[in-house]
Amino acid sequence: MNVGMLLDMAADGYESRVAIGSLADGVSYDGLRRAAGAIAARVAGSDAATIAVTEPNGAIVPATLFGAAWSGTSYAPLNYRLPEPALAELLVRLAPAVVARADWLDPSAPLPAGFPDEPERPAVLLFTSGTSAEPKAAVLGHDQLLAYIFNTVEFASAEADEAVLLAVPPFHIAGVAAVLSSTYAGRRIVPLPRFTAEEWLEVARAERVTHAFVVPTMLARIVQAMEEHPDARVPTLLHLAYGGARTPAPVLERALHLFPDAGFVNAYGLTETSSTVCVLGPDDHRAAHESDDPAVRARLSSVGRAVPGIEVRVVDPEGRELGPGVSGEIRIRGAQVSGAYVGQGSRVDTEGWLVTGDRGFTDTDGYVFVEGRGDDTIIRGGENIAPAEIEDALLRHPAVSAAAVVGLPDEEWGERVAVMVALRPGSTAAPDELRAWVHERVGSLKTPELVAIRDELPHTPTGKILRRQVRAELAEERER
Amino acid sequence: MANLLGKRYTCPVCEATVLVTKPGDGELSCHGQPMEVLQAKPLPSSD
Repeated sequence: MNVGMLLDMAADGYESRVAIGSLADGVSYDGLRRAAGAIAARVAGSDAATIAVTEPNGAIVPATLFGAAWSGTSYAPLNYRLPEPALAELLVRLAPAVVARADWLDPSAPLPAGFPDEPERPAVLLFTSGTSAEPKAAVLGHDQLLAYIFNTVEFASAEADEAVLLAVPPFHIAGVAAVLSSTYAGRRIVPLPRFTAEEWLEVARAERVTHAFVVPTMLARIVQAMEEHPDARVPTLLHLAYGGARTPAPVLERALHLFPDAGFVNAYGLTETSSTVCVLGPDDHRAAHESDDPAVRARLSSVGRAVPGIEVRVVDPEGRELGPGVSGEIRIRGAQVSGAYVGQGSRVDTEGWLVTGDRGFTDTDGYVFVEGRGDDTIIRGGENIAPAEIEDALLRHPAVSAAAVVGLPDEEWGERVAVMVALRPGSTAAPDELRAWVHERVGSLKTPELVAIRDELPHTPTGKILRRQVRAELAEERER
Repeated sequence: MANLLGKRYTCPVCEATVLVTKPGDGELSCHGQPMEVLQAKPLPSSD
């Protein structure tokens, strides 16, 4: 199969509906199909294996995704903020590749001829964010992406007035998945080329946005902006999905309070799994929020349950399955799971299970709790410490806007707990005050021995905290 | 019975599933009987 069929069906089914842009001057599904055809025509007869996009969100993004599918080449969205030499290096790894240009888009081009039913090349090549290592290009096949869409989205399920605010960049898996699922559902995409909380709120209001997906750093900034500007509200918002990394509980609690009428959706997924594999839906959020049962309340910090077609299990270091409530490594299996990389081995075992590298556990009803990357677990004097609990405690301090807890190598303890925090503008807090705050909430074992204060934490272009850089900076600071 | 664009039909005997990518007239059948429309699973949008 070919992901081009999603756009083909959409254009046949609701051709004049706006696919992307404003209601007044956006591109229709029919126009998007023609633009995709125009892009496919550009590479027809060339030796290009990949069509890259090096621009922020806009019509060029879905047009190139589907244009590549139409021509049987791979779509590779790249980080447009990278300096020229770094971009050139990525393009070499994808060669022979061409970069799509805005002037290739022609929504009035003739209707394109059919796409290959069984394209030889994969649909999408996506560089992973590499929070702990160099980025790798994940390979996502047509059948894998379609398995995700067919298992989770019903065709034409969106109402005519629905619109999704696309704020994650095109080179994030959620940016790829949003294009596919919105197209299939018939939900208008409102692209946000560059994220700021103020812009997000303003565009969401002006475009009467009903759906949105944000990564935790975006959610934290939106919450902060709304608290500072009580009239900045988005009354049309029905669904607010968040994911991409663990969302700190204090940020989520504030968001639930600020969007009382929106349904919250926590999505867990990896680039390698073609986006979402677990979902905590609006009903789960409500039940957890209102319940007196601690086990049900705890689910607010879970990522929900596996989506149809996906199996999740938690294993020990020897690969043996662990029971409910026991932490281990999370493994995932299903038709949407890839695990393959350009020029490297696969991370899927012989039975089809993807080794995620994430630590977590399940409860007796199958709710999945993700504790973080396995590499991020701190082992101090033989005790496993998850950074999440300490970070959540710090984020409840009124002056703290972001926190990253890491382990630093230590001869006596194996590792010691250290933290880098960013403070809210205009706020102050001394390191000793923050240490006392954490000590009071999570105990002495988990109290950071080093507290460094910064204006901002280092993060990837997709909003994940760069823990290896935090670790390196803190190690250097300790030496001084 | 018309086959509607984007609807899924399944065979009650072998569970084969068909997705309608081009609508048209006629009736889908499998194992000598009409295929049944699959009801949508309500799943919240997550991206």
